[in-house]
Amino acid sequence: MFWLWTAMAMGAVAFSVLLVLAILAISGYPALGILHRWIIGAAGNRFNLAASMADACPLLLTGLAAGVAFRSGVLNIGAQGQFLLGALVSVALTTRVIFPGPFWCVIVGAMAAACIAGGMWALLASVLERYRGVPVVLSTILLNFVALYLVRAALHGPLQAADTSAPQSPQLKIIYWLPILITNTDFHLGIPLAFAVAVAMAVVLGRTNFGFELLITGLNPRVARLVGMPVVRRQFAIMFLSGCCAGLGGAVQVLGVTHFMLGNFGNYGYTGIAVALLGRLNPIGIAIAAVFFGMLDTGSRFVEESSLALPHQMANVVKGVIILAMLVASAWMMRRGSRVRSPEAGVNQNPADPQQVQS
Amino acid sequence: MLSIENVSKAFGGVQALNNVSLAVAPGSVQGILGENGAGKTTLMNILFGLIRPDRGQIRLNGQAVVVRSPRVAQRLGIGMVHQHFKLSPALSVTDNLALAVGRNFVLLHRAAFRDRIAALARSLHWAVDPDSVVGQLNVGQQQRVEIIKALLGGGKILILDEPTAVLTPQEVDELIPAVRSLARTGITVIFISHKLSEVNRMCDRIAVLRRGELVFAGPMGELSAEDIAQRMLGAPSALSSLGASSASPGLVRLHLSRVCCTLPGTRKYKPLLNNIELSVRAGEIVGIAGVEGNGQTTLIDVIMGSLPISSGVITLDGSDLSHLANFRRARQFACIPEDRQGQGLVLSLSLTANLMLRSYRNPEFTRLGLRHVTAWRAQATKLVRSFDIRCAGVEVPIQFLSGGNQQKALIARELYGNPPVILAINPTRGLDIGATAFVLQQLTAARQRGAAVLLIHSDLDELLAISDRVMVMYAGQLLPTKWPVVDRAAIGRMMMGITPQAA
Amino acid sequence: MNIIGESLGTFLARQTVQAATPLIMAGLGELLAEVTGVINIGIEGLMLMGCIAGYAAAGISGSGGVGLGAAILVGMGTAAVFAGVTVWAAADQIVAGAAVNILAVGASGLAWFFYQNAREAAHRSVSLGRHVGFQSEAIPGLSRIPFFGPMLFDQYMLFYAAIILAVLIWLLLHHTRTGAILRALGDAPEACQAAGISVRTWRTGAVLFAGACAGAAGAYLSIMRTHAFASDMTGGQGFVVLSLVIFGRWTIPGLIAGCLLFGGINSLQQTLQTTRYTSHSTLMHALQYIPFEFFQMLPYVVALLALATLSRSSPGPRYLGQAWRQ
Repeated sequence: MFWLWTAMAMGAVAFSVLLVLAILAISGYPALGILHRWIIGAAGNRFNLAASMADACPLLLTGLAAGVAFRSGVLNIGAQGQFLLGALVSVALTTRVIFPGPFWCVIVGAMAAACIAGGMWALLASVLERYRGVPVVLSTILLNFVALYLVRAALHGPLQAADTSAPQSPQLKIIYWLPILITNTDFHLGIPLAFAVAVAMAVVLGRTNFGFELLITGLNPRVARLVGMPVVRRQFAIMFLSGCCAGLGGAVQVLGVTHFMLGNFGNYGYTGIAVALLGRLNPIGIAIAAVFFGMLDTGSRFVEESSLALPHQMANVVKGVIILAMLVASAWMMRRGSRVRSPEAGVNQNPADPQQVQS
Repeated sequence: MLSIENVSKAFGGVQALNNVSLAVAPGSVQGILGENGAGKTTLMNILFGLIRPDRGQIRLNGQAVVVRSPRVAQRLGIGMVHQHFKLSPALSVTDNLALAVGRNFVLLHRAAFRDRIAALARSLHWAVDPDSVVGQLNVGQQQRVEIIKALLGGGKILILDEPTAVLTPQEVDELIPAVRSLARTGITVIFISHKLSEVNRMCDRIAVLRRGELVFAGPMGELSAEDIAQRMLGAPSALSSLGASSASPGLVRLHLSRVCCTLPGTRKYKPLLNNIELSVRAGEIVGIAGVEGNGQTTLIDVIMGSLPISSGVITLDGSDLSHLANFRRARQFACIPEDRQGQGLVLSLSLTANLMLRSYRNPEFTRLGLRHVTAWRAQATKLVRSFDIRCAGVEVPIQFLSGGNQQKALIARELYGNPPVILAINPTRGLDIGATAFVLQQLTAARQRGAAVLLIHSDLDELLAISDRVMVMYAGQLLPTKWPVVDRAAIGRMMMGITPQAA
Repeated sequence: MNIIGESLGTFLARQTVQAATPLIMAGLGELLAEVTGVINIGIEGLMLMGCIAGYAAAGISGSGGVGLGAAILVGMGTAAVFAGVTVWAAADQIVAGAAVNILAVGASGLAWFFYQNAREAAHRSVSLGRHVGFQSEAIPGLSRIPFFGPMLFDQYMLFYAAIILAVLIWLLLHHTRTGAILRALGDAPEACQAAGISVRTWRTGAVLFAGACAGAAGAYLSIMRTHAFASDMTGGQGFVVLSLVIFGRWTIPGLIAGCLLFGGINSLQQTLQTTRYTSHSTLMHALQYIPFEFFQMLPYVVALLALATLSRSSPGPRYLGQAWRQ
């Protein structure tokens, strides 16, 4: 199963890269040269590799956010909004309301606060579903936009930098930047932190009773209730955990990479959904997928800055095609799997009596 | 004249139908009897073009026909009413019927079409309003709409696939004359059932299937009921071997005292549960009979704590349960829920995960706070063996198990570790005879071990076979009976709300 | 901003309808698709594809009509990919929609790059000529009615098309057998299948129609209301459409009301931004103290509130978002 999935992912990646290169070749661009530059840009040397990792970092965290929720059957599309709020809170805490203490206290505090902010924002969708019957998939889409304009209002208002009229925060003081671990590269502390979160998630979700309860609660709350799981708490926990990951992603992006915040702060939340899917909703798989997406982004920016000047958006074509190809392939695989196991599924609901049951 | 000639069909090695031949006269009601998996549904699906037979053919008025699809079946005048209705709840009756039997796409001759429906309903003396929204009709009325649909499509042969399974006894009583009146208009009705009594009241002729073979076909009344049952089952009913307990019951475990329940915000309506007095002692099975929808599910819900009670006290071993959080309360009971797939199992997860849903908290199944994978697998394997669950392996998603094996897995999980109090609601629904006997045996075995069992069951025969005491639920009230002193007819009357004199 | 010659109210009314037009157009398609049980959160991407296709085709051909046609075709083509993945391969609609959005950002960026290069190589201007694209078309007579004239009868051609389409779809949904089929597809696909109606084919049709509508709405943004292209020019309007379909409880009058409300808030907000220091109206003056982001946020908050207060009465098509496996 694992290898089949890996092969499928590889196939989808190859298919989408070839498709984009074919389009470029047909349009008269040197496809092989672009591919070469793309690979060099993504992982050709330690600087580029570190940049890819830095690009992967927010995607890993938003991917985990989507993965945690989707795995439990909760359609949290809201990682984008949770990510933005996390970023906003960390900016606010490091530029405006700096609580006393040494710099690392401020950094840890900002990240913790970002987690909580993301978590609470996600929780809002859970509360709306539980008490008002609003489907999470709809409320999170809407809350993304509420968060976006909240962020823009803040960046136009109390958090606006003094020397600009754009919605933009001042730059963080250098002491609040996440330390760079490999000199002269973009490899900041947030990267190992994100991977540590992925490992922790893998253990908690996959191997603990708490993770088991999250899974059951998400997949079938009525069963969870029957066997005595604290369903409401766990449902809230799923969303809170999911929002925490996304919020942390926002903080790490601000503290580690951008060091200030703009009104237009990327689409990491939406891309995280794709990362989660490519990683098969498994934290370790998500980490691999995020690194791959980070490489796509970094590599495509390298191509854009090179003499070829192709727009870096072509990375998005690759991403989109990968996801669509993966969706088709996994749907096909699932159907094949179920057909192998139950030949008369859908025709004969009670296949046989105990003597003749399929083995 | 419809004749089925030497039809055979196999599914991956399992012979679902073996050389079945049957002739059905026009204007008659033909009953087809057989237990689950006997091949009734397969036969009908072949008639309706959902399945192609491996061998054999179908003749209509002497002419051989190939029913390639349901559409062809409809063109040939064969209509089918499935157990699960193919209706859109959001649409009106007229829209539903237009959708199914209309021809044009743009113009809907609404008034004329509506009149046709009304006229047909009138001719059958059925009260069906063409303008009402289907989702607001009761199940019996929806079934009428389905029948009208088949007739409007030009149906001359009507297949009713276990039509009574979804109906209350009152609705069954209304369906029978309705079907008879259909037959009088020249429609051939094929009635599929595994309930002998209904076939008895409705059909002119019967055919009995067992394991894919036709074991009897002839006019109703040629065989006695016992003979038919004998042929249907092949072996004497397993029910007779399960007697009531001889052991004397012990202390009161579960006790409900003056329990009332009203839906929140609907105080003005009559309560869902009214002044329930109930106690279940260790080592006894208390059976609750009743027509569905009289408060049985509510009773389970208030005991488990998923619905709040408006007054009264529920105690377990003498202590009030209202102090416990709902999830802790649910852990006090083993529960075999009515909706096995929706409430009992997580279909996409493995058999192991489903078997461990109760005991995963047990310290022996964790190690250093993490799941003890080998202990889980060992436990699952043990349960599979001791409850005879047929599966390809413990890691197979449970959705790929048959209904009977899913129920075995559910019971294995709930009854493992000798739970002191067991709640079960319709635990044998949809199971064949063998699996039914297994489930009932497990419940009596649990009683023998000293468990207090509350069994809510709509099948009166099974209920009476294993219960030590029987109560009847009617309109939210619980009425005691003097079973086994009174007869089942008296209990049946109480279920219908006829106040008992003798009971 | 030219407000001379018409009152602020009339100006706002016309701006409202202008802002609402693409939402109505895309919303009609999305509504139909959702009624049949397919939710496409990639509507934003479809609009973006419509923007670039309309702009590039209009630029190359020199004809706005060709641009609109190309936008519709490209919208349908992208929707066909979505339909293939969700309807035929039965994959998750939400994830596929998210993928379409990402794909559209990339594809439109690439297409824009190709277009610019091609124009420069041919020594032609990248921007559209003066008369390429659409102008608003006043209906003689009717447009002279005070207030309502400029609001309803001095609009771009797509507005008239959207209104006619809205009436037609409403009639179709509620008074024809096709409408019964469409509604049943999202409510009880098994009933359709039993009636010999191919659920997948019909749903594909609805998704393609939604793609055409979204493509046209995209073209409206790039060759009607403005004559320009920018890579972020849809600015979340596709998501607005999604929320407005929900806000309107999957009804056409509700959808249009929602679109006008959103358009109204949006044009008021834009007017406030541009007239920040020139307006003499006390109300406008007072409103200026509210950060305009809150106006931008308002439609989403209103949609959320609408869901939270009304959701139990009409939860939408029962099979919304669920694939149909035959």
